[in-house]
Amino acid sequence: MELILEQLPIVIHALNIGFLQTLKLFFVTLIGAIPLGLVIAFGSMSRFKPLSYLTKIIVWIVRGTPLMIQLLIIYYFPGLVLGNPIWGGGETGRFLAASVSFILNYACYFSEIYRGGIQGVPVGQTEAGLVLGMTKTQIFFKVKLLQMIKRIVPPMSNEIITLVKDTSLARIIALQEIIWAGQAFMKGSQGISGAIWPLFFTAVYYLICNGILTLLFGRLEKKLDYFR
Amino acid sequence: MSILEVEHIQKSFEHTEVLKDISFSLEKGQVLSIIGSSGSGKTTLLRCLNFLERPDSGIIRVNGESLFDSSASSRKNEAEIRKKRLHFGLVFQSFNLFPQYTALQNVMLARELLAKEQPDYKSRKKEIHQEIEAQAEILLKQMGLADRMQNYPHQLSGGQCQRVAIARALALQPDILCFDEPTSALDPELTGEVLKVIKELADTKTTMIIVTHEMAFARDVADHVIFMDDGCILEQGNPIDVMEHPKEERTKQFLARFTQG
Amino acid sequence: MKKMFTTTAALMMALSLIGCGNSASSEDTTATASTEETVVEETATEETSTEEASSEESDLAYVQEKGTLVVGLTDFAPMDYKDEDGEWVGFDADMAKAFAESLGVSVEFVEIDWDNKIMELDGKTIDCVWNGMTLTDEVKSAMDCSNAYCNNAQVVIVPADVADNYQDTESLAELTFAVEAGSAGEAEATALGLNFTPVKAQSDALMEIAAGTSDAAIIDSLMAAAMVGEGTGYADLTYTIGLNSEEYGVGFRKGSDLTAKLNEFFAASYADGTMMECAKTYGVQAAVVEQ
Repeated sequence: MELILEQLPIVIHALNIGFLQTLKLFFVTLIGAIPLGLVIAFGSMSRFKPLSYLTKIIVWIVRGTPLMIQLLIIYYFPGLVLGNPIWGGGETGRFLAASVSFILNYACYFSEIYRGGIQGVPVGQTEAGLVLGMTKTQIFFKVKLLQMIKRIVPPMSNEIITLVKDTSLARIIALQEIIWAGQAFMKGSQGISGAIWPLFFTAVYYLICNGILTLLFGRLEKKLDYFR
Repeated sequence: MSILEVEHIQKSFEHTEVLKDISFSLEKGQVLSIIGSSGSGKTTLLRCLNFLERPDSGIIRVNGESLFDSSASSRKNEAEIRKKRLHFGLVFQSFNLFPQYTALQNVMLARELLAKEQPDYKSRKKEIHQEIEAQAEILLKQMGLADRMQNYPHQLSGGQCQRVAIARALALQPDILCFDEPTSALDPELTGEVLKVIKELADTKTTMIIVTHEMAFARDVADHVIFMDDGCILEQGNPIDVMEHPKEERTKQFLARFTQG
Repeated sequence: MKKMFTTTAALMMALSLIGCGNSASSEDTTATASTEETVVEETATEETSTEEASSEESDLAYVQEKGTLVVGLTDFAPMDYKDEDGEWVGFDADMAKAFAESLGVSVEFVEIDWDNKIMELDGKTIDCVWNGMTLTDEVKSAMDCSNAYCNNAQVVIVPADVADNYQDTESLAELTFAVEAGSAGEAEATALGLNFTPVKAQSDALMEIAAGTSDAAIIDSLMAAAMVGEGTGYADLTYTIGLNSEEYGVGFRKGSDLTAKLNEFFAASYADGTMMECAKTYGVQAAVVEQ
């Protein structure tokens, strides 16, 4: 116990740094995947068949393969197959490659949620808007968007909480997120070796983060509760 | 001159011909009731008038201006169609109110969006908004909803919802207001309040086309009745003639079911 | 559609490459013969080549052109670890700095996932693996390795209170072991016919004993010295017998001309005593191999 108390400041400091990476990847993924998902959703609903098929195939490939493999391919493929390691070996390159993988992966999942949300808004809403002389854009933003958001909040909150935990997969390409930071003390780092508890302690970070997210999503759901 | 002239409208879905050579006209301030069994093409006809469906052939004219002419095949852009469909208002069977807006906002929304296209919108923003709000309040009061303006659709009864929908359609001051079975989704005891409102509109000489199954109401309120069957207009004329002395066998059968039931 | 197909084909190719990193690098061995000519041509060949041409390029020229030697490592005291300022130090790290200096380039340390070291190397995200790497047959077939510079042994780790019972190889048969997958320790366990479970890292093997899920582990002696026994996180564990002796080396891409350069550098720094001096700083002087 005394040993742990002694190690605590060092471990917390290292875990904080790791968790910062986790959060960075989390937010970058959200910022990229939320709009990209909408683009993909519109692509797959497009009446222009080649575009719709192409996006559906991409969604199929991305959702049909493990994120871990996608990380490996996106990071190592350029150097291994094309002989041109575009990402470089440094921390920034690894973070960029991880961001690209996560944004693409999550955009595909989001797009399917959006698609369900958009198609779930009754067609009568569009018709009412048309009859009232609104443009398609006005109908989307003024009529359908909020109804769609209300529909997608529960599945999106689910997916976003999963994303927090999925960021730990990025350590396969040696992105030093919080689990990596926790594991380092098992092997030995900063004079502490063979310490197992830091790894388990990372769970607290995830719990707190997801607790906050759950609260926020609950509040959003409540806010949208004023209509049905 | 008639306010509405419809000539030789035809419409098919896949291989089914839903409207076969429909022609009729309507005078300003008159009420037209369209009756007929389900699947006879009544709703499709209304949807064609409101540009929710595109007829395969035929002509639609309002006040002598051609809104649709299949022979003049120039493809209309979205803006033009928007302008043209404003000649018509449509009240749906299932209301289709916007659930995230209050009754008042539902009535105001379309006009506010249109107002933004006015050149002087920026300078008169507040004034325009007040105008629109005042008009919406008058309409809702007229519908007997003075104390319901701030309610959301899910807090209103079906009859109240349908009255909001009527106010919403009236807000744009259409030349012709169309009703697609406005009481079919309502409980019998709520039907009366909606029919009363439509009757009041008829009394103030609002030009209307009403697709309905309420035979007694159609006879009361309409100046002209069309009986449709299998995509054709089988019989038309003033309500007494068509509904009490039908010439066609099919019309008699149809009406008999209602008088019995 | 055609484009779609080529993309899919390319993806498949990448998958198969990742599946067997060795096969990819064996292709490169054909380039070894032509290395000398390419050195002459190096000024002409630009780095822009994104196709097969890259395998014919001199690794030394490639590193010098970009101006950095990227060293792949893990946190592995006393060979590579971070000091209080977050700087990489250790016997390996210090030697790598000196080697880069001799090439006239700067050094960049990148912490990698040890499982992916061959992929990192072939994918050119790192230029060498310099991290107390045991020269096993697998390592030697997948990389171009330098001469051995350090001795090491695989040792058995058991709880200290029962250590007396396990002082010879026969007694090990009754224990269940945890060993790092693909490590020299696993090779020893297999050779002795021990009952073992492969785990992801040597540190995981130690955790298995601490958690009671395995009775014992086999890990590197240099690591054992730093990680078990009094004053470490595993105070209740100790190491008993050594199973074999082995050597550490540095790994480069197959056919790399940097290997020869490093061997020259090792010989020179051993001769002038700088290598020993560095080893003494980290207490590994007894293990250094004569160059």
